[in-house]
Amino acid sequence: MGNKKIGVFVCHCGTNISATVDVEKVAEETKKNNPGVSYTTTYKYMCSDPGQKLLRDKIKEEGLDGVVVAACSPKMHEHTFRNAAIKTGLNPYHVEISNIREQCSWVHPEIPVGTEKSTDLVRMMTEKVRKDKSLNAIKVPVTKRALVIGGGIAGIQAALDIADGGHEVIMVEREASIGGHMAQLSETFPTLDCSQCIMTPKMVEAAQNDNITMHTWSEIESVDGYIGNFTVKIRKKARSVDLDLCTGCSSCWQVCPCSKIKSEFDMGLGNRTAIYIPFPQAIPSKPVIDRENCILFKDARKKNIKPNDSKVCRKCIDACPIAPVKAIDYNQEDEIIEVKVGAIIVATGYKELEDGLYGEYGGGKYEDVITGLQFERLASASGPTEGVIKRPSDGKEPEIVVFIQCVGSRDPAKGCSYCSKTCCMYTAKHTMLYKHKVHHGHAFVFYIDIRCAGKGYEEFSQRAIEEEGATYLRGRVSRVYKKGEKLVVLGADTLTGSVVEIEADMVVLASAMKAQDDAMEIAQKLSIQYDKDKFLSEIHPKLKPVESSSAGIFLAGTCQGPKDIPETVAQAGAAASKVLALLSSDELEREPVVARVDRQLPPVFSTCIGCFYCQKVCPYSAIESEDIKARDGSVIKTVARVNEGLCQGCGLCAATCRSKSIELDGFNDEQIYAEINAVEFN
Amino acid sequence: MIEALRKKAEELLRSKTVDVVYGYGEGSVPERTRPVFITKPEDVNKLTWNKYCVYNLTTYLKKQEARKLGKPAIVVKGCDAKTITVLIKESQIKREDIYIIGVTCTGIGEPPATKCKACDVNTPLIYDELIGEKIENKEFSFDERYAELDEYEKLSEKEKWDFWQKQFAKCIKCYACSSICPLCFCDRCIVDKNQPQWIDPSAHPRGNLSWNVTRAYHLAGRCINCEECQRVCPADIPLNLLNKKLAKETEKNFKYRSGYNVDDELAMATYKEDDSEDIFK
Repeated sequence: MGNKKIGVFVCHCGTNISATVDVEKVAEETKKNNPGVSYTTTYKYMCSDPGQKLLRDKIKEEGLDGVVVAACSPKMHEHTFRNAAIKTGLNPYHVEISNIREQCSWVHPEIPVGTEKSTDLVRMMTEKVRKDKSLNAIKVPVTKRALVIGGGIAGIQAALDIADGGHEVIMVEREASIGGHMAQLSETFPTLDCSQCIMTPKMVEAAQNDNITMHTWSEIESVDGYIGNFTVKIRKKARSVDLDLCTGCSSCWQVCPCSKIKSEFDMGLGNRTAIYIPFPQAIPSKPVIDRENCILFKDARKKNIKPNDSKVCRKCIDACPIAPVKAIDYNQEDEIIEVKVGAIIVATGYKELEDGLYGEYGGGKYEDVITGLQFERLASASGPTEGVIKRPSDGKEPEIVVFIQCVGSRDPAKGCSYCSKTCCMYTAKHTMLYKHKVHHGHAFVFYIDIRCAGKGYEEFSQRAIEEEGATYLRGRVSRVYKKGEKLVVLGADTLTGSVVEIEADMVVLASAMKAQDDAMEIAQKLSIQYDKDKFLSEIHPKLKPVESSSAGIFLAGTCQGPKDIPETVAQAGAAASKVLALLSSDELEREPVVARVDRQLPPVFSTCIGCFYCQKVCPYSAIESEDIKARDGSVIKTVARVNEGLCQGCGLCAATCRSKSIELDGFNDEQIYAEINAVEFN
Repeated sequence: MIEALRKKAEELLRSKTVDVVYGYGEGSVPERTRPVFITKPEDVNKLTWNKYCVYNLTTYLKKQEARKLGKPAIVVKGCDAKTITVLIKESQIKREDIYIIGVTCTGIGEPPATKCKACDVNTPLIYDELIGEKIENKEFSFDERYAELDEYEKLSEKEKWDFWQKQFAKCIKCYACSSICPLCFCDRCIVDKNQPQWIDPSAHPRGNLSWNVTRAYHLAGRCINCEECQRVCPADIPLNLLNKKLAKETEKNFKYRSGYNVDDELAMATYKEDDSEDIFK
């Protein structure tokens, strides 16, 4: 291996490199001082088509069996040059990049320094290339089934797209019905079409699609495995209702005596029973028993007996017309099922900022200070007021409504430094819905900026102001307080420089979109990253916007950051297309840069001593234990083994191993050592 | 105490609870003891216990020759017992595969060893049978525990470097430090790896520095300061000074003391979001 014929190609990168590095000199010095480097050249743009052709031609003409491209970061073009090498028949892992741009020309303004360092960097890489070994892509089989976590619009859209592509989808939704937040909305911007009218057909479509298996009232228990081969445990929470037997006839919830429970779907503005469906169009349209609030379960907990033995109330089961076995089963227990999937889409959505967080606006204190989602329920035909705008405290029609934007959003003091993106638009929509229903009413909006970037968005918000007559005031509200039946809103109008005091009947807070409370938990279960606001992170904000940090796991919708419905649907489609691409092949090829635990022929089986520090530091759970056995089956010792499918090649294990029994292919000890030794100490 | 020890050993061997008892035996002179491996109940009188029982017998748990004798009972002082805790945490031994005969100890050696000065394990923290009257373990402050570093820490960076250069120059690469260490249990040490040769095996200053620093680093967050390396060093290199310093830094930065609790997460293999970053300089 020491007699490799190595070619070095130094890139000018326009003037990015050549302005501060004398590339000709680098090439010349490299040829002169490195025996084994048989060919060197420079080129204006190595990554261009002619540049790649030059590389391919020279590999063939010069019979090169090792290549160093001195150019930009390997993150940019390692892939490009390795692919070029493949076309000539050279194993791509004999091609190395020496980064003389980000790590040299961009940081050293003086030519002599840049040139000398570049020459050093190239020499280090030629020494590494000398030790490079051929590696072959790892092939892993693919389970042709996808998991979608979350049954909101993002999850439904992604599931439908994958199902239409001909693959099975398992959808897990933790609530009793799919639909998510979109099902709660009244109308949608910028067209003002009814949310339910466009959402429920999609819900039905998903429910009726043969390729989609739905698990509502279920949560993800654990996720193991790797791209193409995930094993997921799903906890099907006890619903207390047999979905196969129940017909959703409504007999049970009509007789339920616990009717004063705040409805989560109506954001606490309406009531529901203890056995309930969240909303009339729920899918599945079959109830669930709220065990926290049901008097039978309360009694059973108090007496420490099985729920079915409690005789406090059995109205629902008595009313159930299904015979001979009733569809209600009080003793039902959680069930854990295991599924195997090849890809996962996370679409777990968002939550609205807690209304109690803004004490100065009376959130959580005054009944008539409501959040954006609560207003949606007030305006919705299926809502607690059947679409009539009534204020929660006394049911009166509010004649003056103040909308406050950026409640939480863009306010680092409240923990959301980001813009929630949708509030400008939905507030404009709210003013319209309000004016459509209360013609003589007046809507005031306090805003910081109006951010309506989107197709038809600016026109929409202008319409709210110009046609619907909403009064927009640029400024913040300092306080909301109660004065008799009115709510006094104290704010500033910074355009006129005056203090504004409005006596309103109702105040609507455009509350921020926040990450779900358990976003971190799901991120940890999936081993994917999340950002400072607990939104799940895409791996590249521009070029890989739906890919998570773990291969085979994709993101869709607001779990990744605030976004509106069109954007969510587009992202769900994008995630689905990634999944379809993944599921379209029988085998996956993975970079063979994986760790390897030392194994030797008998009698020394492995230098690994099995302390399993590697297992503890591995962020991908890729280290397993393996018994090395003698012929008679007795265990000689237990050692570590790397699961190639899970290993992402980060090298933590190799760095941790005291006996150096783990090495990383492509970055093994000999390669690194050769690089270090090539550094000349002056 | 000796009688109780012998009686227990005999009982364990007779009942076949264990196959062998690792203990201390009389040496050639009264000031010395030697390790003994008792496999027959009638030999238990070879066992002894006195203030010269300095060795940490747990080091034999890593030796194939001793392991071949079968399930062991092992006589340990409080300090030695900490090793067993680490060995369990590092998957080298299962708790049920070993019988621990703890002995209470109020100090060892003549004059008493450095480690005994701030000893907070007069009674071992882990044992199956305790020999000797149980002693209430004392508590020492952070500063008291690392008092032996006081002089060393007063040195400037340059002085420290010169000090170690001088010390390591004495090293003859006999590897006694690693042989005696109960936590140096790798089948193949990094120093034995020759492709590439990370550590120069000759007794050259460069290789000496690599070896001694690597040895100390490999014990960071693990060493329980039994001081055996320092005791056996024929060149009198104060090896435990390095170990102790690393133990101090580990405790300061990660609130972790090796060998005290089998359920603690290993400091050097655990990432926590609030980990101190002061160690990066």
